[in-house]
Amino acid sequence: MNYDFDWFYVKKGLPKLLEGLMVTLELTLWANAIGLVLGFLVALGMLTRIRLITWPLTAYIEFFRCTPALIQLVWFFFCVPILFNVWWSAEFMGILALGLNLAAFNAEAYRASIQSIPTAQTDACTALGLNVVQRIIFVILPQALLLSLPVLITNGIGIFQQSALVALISVQDLMYEGRYLATQTFRPIETLTTVALLYFAVSFPVSQMVTFVERRTSRLLQN
Amino acid sequence: MDLSFGFLLEYSGVLFEGLLNTLKFVSLAAVLGLVWGFVLSLGRTSKSSAIYGLTTIYVEFFRGTPVLIQLFWVFFCLPLFLGIELSGFASSIIALTLYSGAIISESFRAALKSIERSQFDACTALGLSAGTRTLFVILPQAVLRAIPNLLSNVVSLFKESALVSAVGMTDLMYVGQNIANNVARPVEILTTVALIYFAIGFPLTRAVTFVEGRLLKVVKA
Repeated sequence: MNYDFDWFYVKKGLPKLLEGLMVTLELTLWANAIGLVLGFLVALGMLTRIRLITWPLTAYIEFFRCTPALIQLVWFFFCVPILFNVWWSAEFMGILALGLNLAAFNAEAYRASIQSIPTAQTDACTALGLNVVQRIIFVILPQALLLSLPVLITNGIGIFQQSALVALISVQDLMYEGRYLATQTFRPIETLTTVALLYFAVSFPVSQMVTFVERRTSRLLQN
Repeated sequence: MDLSFGFLLEYSGVLFEGLLNTLKFVSLAAVLGLVWGFVLSLGRTSKSSAIYGLTTIYVEFFRGTPVLIQLFWVFFCLPLFLGIELSGFASSIIALTLYSGAIISESFRAALKSIERSQFDACTALGLSAGTRTLFVILPQAVLRAIPNLLSNVVSLFKESALVSAVGMTDLMYVGQNIANNVARPVEILTTVALIYFAIGFPLTRAVTFVEGRLLKVVKA
């Protein structure tokens, strides 16, 4: 190939790209906040075994897990304003869609880890005379959180990557700024490669952390 | 606000065509991704540190970046490198294959690693050659154990495939958005498109759980 690399425009546009990265990170953090809290509440709801609660929750979980994140995002962007007559920013819609998507996946992670706690623990709680609330908060919850931590982090990075989709609904995140710069300067190779490396630089350390956390939690639980 | 789903009948043909395109993308990329993923997993379990290093960097990179940027990269940059024109179809398939290969290789690798040492020892005791061992003892078990994960990889590929609409491929997502823009009725159309995706994604996801349960019994037996 004979392509002359020219990094001038990438250097010049770097502040803009970093601004985009901040938006991406902001979206990721908010979506994770929703996903972690709402996901846990949904998991608790699923464990009540009351059909009036579990059926709508199951529908919610399955729907968000079985459709592309892109259609969810586009649906929120176009349909929520019409259906509910509210006018929120594209960024807020992005956070909402990504957060609800993440909550569905996290709920499953929480539920699996809560169910993996041996029933002997419940019996032990009864023997010790702990009530239901004490049992859930002080015995089951800490173990369940610890057990699901690797999956929660993995899902969290997943959302960081999925957040690139918001560029398609005109949120000015890293992906959006990268594409804009690429088309403005006719330098797609330099720009898009830089953008990919920026994404990688954030998600790689976090995904490496998962392996570390996994090893630590499994050791903790064995003791 | 008034919703009317009646006019959708008019567009059912186009939506169906879009769905067929989506399925075409997914099946083609899944088959290519399975082959590429298996090759990568061999590299990831290789004793040569150069091969191991290269495949690891590849897998980590494709797992650590958004599929959208990979798609744009292949669409905009690869033709410049190769010096040839790539159609939108070709670049979508290339991008989805490169991505799914990376996630599929992890499933194969986990399956290969899950085979007990004693199996290798038993092969040595039986006097089997390395080729026979790999082909007739290790491989069948590895593939069997990888099946549930491979299926769920294909399901996620199905969901990721909606991205090809961003480079102008007329898949279900693209068709849906196009109609929504033309008739200014996004609620009905986008909801329908979402339901179509769900109608395929949900049974697939359930099938994964079912196969997983059945296989666990087979592997244990």
